[in-house]
Amino acid sequence: MNTYAPALQRLIAELSKLPGVGGRTAQRLAFHLLRASEEDALALADAIREVKSRIGFCEICFNLAEGPRCRICADERREGDVICVVEEPVDVISIERTHEFRGRYHVLGGALSPIDGIDPEDLRIEQLYARLRDGEVREVVIATNPTTTGEATALHIAAGIRQLAPATAVTRLASGLPVGSDLEYADELTLGRAFSGRRAL
Amino acid sequence: MRVLSVSVRDFRCYEAAAAPLGGGLTVIWGPNGAGKTNLLEALYFGCTGRSCRTVNDREVVRFGSRTARVVVAAEDEVGPHEFTVGFTPGEPKRMTHDGAPVERLVDLSSRPLMSVFLPERLDLVRGVPALRRAHLDQYLAALWPARAANRSTYAQTLAQRNALLARVDHGGSRASLAAWDERLAAAAIALMADRAQASSELAAAFAEIAPSLGLEADPEVFYRPRSQASSIEEFQAELRERLSSDLERGFTEHGPHRDDLVLRHAGRQLRTYGSQGQQRLGLLALLLAERRVISRYRAAAPLILLDDVMSELDRERRQALVQLLLNDGGQAVITTTDQEHVPLIESPEIALVGVGGGSVLSPQTATAGVQ
Repeated sequence: MNTYAPALQRLIAELSKLPGVGGRTAQRLAFHLLRASEEDALALADAIREVKSRIGFCEICFNLAEGPRCRICADERREGDVICVVEEPVDVISIERTHEFRGRYHVLGGALSPIDGIDPEDLRIEQLYARLRDGEVREVVIATNPTTTGEATALHIAAGIRQLAPATAVTRLASGLPVGSDLEYADELTLGRAFSGRRAL
Repeated sequence: MRVLSVSVRDFRCYEAAAAPLGGGLTVIWGPNGAGKTNLLEALYFGCTGRSCRTVNDREVVRFGSRTARVVVAAEDEVGPHEFTVGFTPGEPKRMTHDGAPVERLVDLSSRPLMSVFLPERLDLVRGVPALRRAHLDQYLAALWPARAANRSTYAQTLAQRNALLARVDHGGSRASLAAWDERLAAAAIALMADRAQASSELAAAFAEIAPSLGLEADPEVFYRPRSQASSIEEFQAELRERLSSDLERGFTEHGPHRDDLVLRHAGRQLRTYGSQGQQRLGLLALLLAERRVISRYRAAAPLILLDDVMSELDRERRQALVQLLLNDGGQAVITTTDQEHVPLIESPEIALVGVGGGSVLSPQTATAGVQ
């Protein structure tokens, strides 16, 4: 197996750490980079270096940011009295695409999962509470994933907010049928949730 | 969905064989060791990708061969369907549904539902509660496929709470315990409600069927939940009461993962006080009751496979069983060594398949045996 030059072996090993990349794909990528012009290959290396040095977390909401604050927290036009709580930065992008939400975000950096050793202290929950202490936030929308861990995280945060800032409304995103889809194509779980969350017309 | 036939190659005692199934009751008939049960097993194997008799799939491959193969042909209102399973020990099974490869046949939404009565399944009546709990949840999932998620949600949440309890014991934070309790309580209440509803439907059908098969003295089946809670808040309170002992043990002691489905006759549990014959009748009545309830909710009754059930019953009860199988609709397959054990065997509603010496006899030969 170990017949590659050490430098190449190292590149393959690093590439195979990426999500969705196995040994064989890592090997293909490594040979592709070897064949590519020096300019192209180093452009990738520079891009990686740059993203690691320039992109950090927003000091307020922990979304990804170039500089101390993310674009949303820096935007004065966003409403400061509504905060949407999500698990990961990618969830911010999904919600932003709707153009429905004009408030600000708070990124937890994961969800509670004792099996994986993730306790409340490992998430940015204290930082969320700190944002609520000055009392200017009217509503917190909890948009963690509708999974076991996401739901437990939502309950934990909701209980914390009720204690800390009883005047703040806590809401949870509804889950159910995607718009524009036919009933016959909905999976049983989604349809079941949509049924139990049905409302009067 | 109606199963039309099963074909096998190098499966148990069969080198190559095919057997047609009738639309109602099919009787597989032959002497001891002829391969009757193997044919039932092949039906189950072809529809689920698993054996109903052994956890060691190697056993189903005919001695001296490399690969066993089963093809089940079926049809529904849409048209014909085909399920195949190929198995070579040491390799992953190759399964297809209508020609397309699938990972798990049991995940298909359109497949024949199955129910099996085998001597080995007596453990369901006399074994530990976990077996009956798992069975109850399977029956529940067959009744209401969308509700199967409640069980896995409960199991996942329970695993998380147990992990948390173990971490607290090693000095971890218990700050999120209240949130997990609330989640677990919500999942538990949903699961218990499903189980209670599924069991109460079952209870009525069981009380009708069991006496005709010979359990005459107040046969009952009922759900016995560990928790008495009827709301999320009550369940949370029950968890709180037991918190210190849960912390000591490092796992959750209380909840629907300790429930049981109780079968009783004459006021006593069949599990501990029933004779072997009564336990067999209890199992048979349970499976038939489930089949009756499922056929009310789903378009078709499950295909029920009954291995050597007639030899235990007297004449009157054999008659009752055959009548019940014919009247409840859907397909059923029974095996017997003696045609005289099957009342009404000459009726056109019953299909007869003769087996002997590792092959399926042609229908003509089988009919010749009756005359």
